[in-house]
Amino acid sequence: MAELIMIIVSAVFIKNFVVVQFLGICPFLGVSKDFRSALGMGLAVTFVMTLTCLITYPIYTYILVPLKIEFIEIIVFIFIIASIVQMIEMALKRFSPTLYNAMGIYLPLITTNCAVLGVAELVIDTVQIADLIGITAAQMNMGFAVLYGLFAGLGFTFVIVIMSGLREKIARTPVSKHLKGFPISMITACFIAMAFYVFMLI
Amino acid sequence: MGSVNWSTFGIVTLIVAVIAIIFAVLIVIVYKLCHVEEDKTVEVISEKLAGANCGGCGFTGCNAFAKALAEGKANLSMCGPTANENKAEIAKLLNLPFTAEEQAYAVVKCAGGLNSKNKFEYVGNEGCIAQIAFMGGKKVCPNGCLCGGTCASLCPYHAITPSKDGVMVVNKALCEACGVCAKKCPKHIIELIPKSSKVYVACSTTCKGKEVVNTCKVGCISCGLCEKACKYGAIKLENNVPVIDYKKCVGCKACVSACRRKVIKEI
Repeated sequence: MAELIMIIVSAVFIKNFVVVQFLGICPFLGVSKDFRSALGMGLAVTFVMTLTCLITYPIYTYILVPLKIEFIEIIVFIFIIASIVQMIEMALKRFSPTLYNAMGIYLPLITTNCAVLGVAELVIDTVQIADLIGITAAQMNMGFAVLYGLFAGLGFTFVIVIMSGLREKIARTPVSKHLKGFPISMITACFIAMAFYVFMLI
Repeated sequence: MGSVNWSTFGIVTLIVAVIAIIFAVLIVIVYKLCHVEEDKTVEVISEKLAGANCGGCGFTGCNAFAKALAEGKANLSMCGPTANENKAEIAKLLNLPFTAEEQAYAVVKCAGGLNSKNKFEYVGNEGCIAQIAFMGGKKVCPNGCLCGGTCASLCPYHAITPSKDGVMVVNKALCEACGVCAKKCPKHIIELIPKSSKVYVACSTTCKGKEVVNTCKVGCISCGLCEKACKYGAIKLENNVPVIDYKKCVGCKACVSACRRKVIKEI
C-alpha cells in the first residue's frame, strides 16, 4: 500500500513526465487547445504507456537480460511502441471516429512520443525506479512497472488537461497582441512547471 | 576494432525477427477486426483534383479537400489549380451546381521596392511576417510590398520572383491560382484576377496623392484620369486607388496610356 502511494506521488507529481522531465512536450503543446481532445490524447497516451510497460518490462527482464543483449533495448522498445500505436489507431478508427478525427496527426505521433519511450526506459532502470518508489532494487517486479506506467500516463493526462482548461480560458480573455496564441501558452506551461517544482523541494 | 561476436549477432537478429513477426501477426489480426470501409467517392474525387497539395483551399491537402467536398463542407470554387473539365466531372458526381469559372492568376499590386522610401533601415529576419511585426514594416507606404519574399517562399509552383526593384512579381505562365500568396501576404496586396485580363493596377496605397508624391515614385496619386479615360465604366477610384471591374473591362488599354505615373500596367 505504501508503495502504491509512493508510485502515485512519484509518477504524477514529483517526476511528472511533462513539466518536470520535459518528455512528451509535442502533444502537450499541440493537442491542448480544447478540453475534449486533450483528455482523449491523455487517455490514449496513458493506455499506450501502460501497455508498453506491460510488454517491455518482461521482454527486457526475461529475454534481453539473461541473453546479455540489453543494448538492443531501444530498437525493441520502439518496435513495440510503434506496433501498439498502430493497433490503437486502427481500433479508434473503428470504434470512435470522433476521437480519431480530433487527434488527427497527433495519434501516429504517439509513436515518437518521448514520454512513452521514457517510461519504458525508466521502469527497467531498477536502481532509479526502486529509489523513486522506496523499495530495494531486488523487490522491483512487473506489477510495479505496470502501475508506474499507468500513473505516469495519468500524470501526463493530468497536466495536459490542466493546460487545456487554462488555454480555453485564455482564448476568451483579451491578451496583448504580441503574446496571443503560442507565446502565452508557453508562459502558462512555465507557470504549471513552476507549480510542480514545489514537489521536488519537499 | 574488435572482432564481430557472431553468436550475439545471431541472437539479436533472432530476437528482433521473432518480435517483429509476433507484432506483424497481431497488427494483421487487429486490422482484420477493425477494418473500416472508406468512402469510394472521396478517392474518385481526389483523383480528379489537381493533386498539387498547395493548400490554397484552406484544407491540409487535396485529400482533405476531397473529403470536405464529399461532406458538403467545401465548394469547388475554393480550388484554383483544378481544370474546369475535372471540376465539372466532380460536380456531376456530387450533384452540385457548377458554372465554369475563368482561370485566374495572382498579381502583386505594388511596384514600389527601391522606388518607394523606407521609414528606417531594417536589419533582421527577411520574411514579411517578421518584418511587419516591427512597426508595421519598413516602408513609409502602409500598403507597400516589403520585398521579404514570404509569398515567393510559400508559392508551391515557384511562380513568384523578385523584380530588379525588389518587388515580388508573379510569373503568369507558372501561376495556378491556388491563392496561398494572397492569403499569406501580411499587407494583403496580392489579388487573383482573370487570366484573360489585359491590365492591372500596380498600387494598393491608401495614402492621399500628396503623401504618395513625396514617398513613392510609382504610386497612385488618385488623379482620376484613368476613370475618365475608361469608356466602359470599368474603373472606379476606391480608397485612393483605381479598382478595375474585370467583367466590364474589354482590354482597350486606354487607361494605360492615360496614367501619368504608369500605375496601371499592361500584362
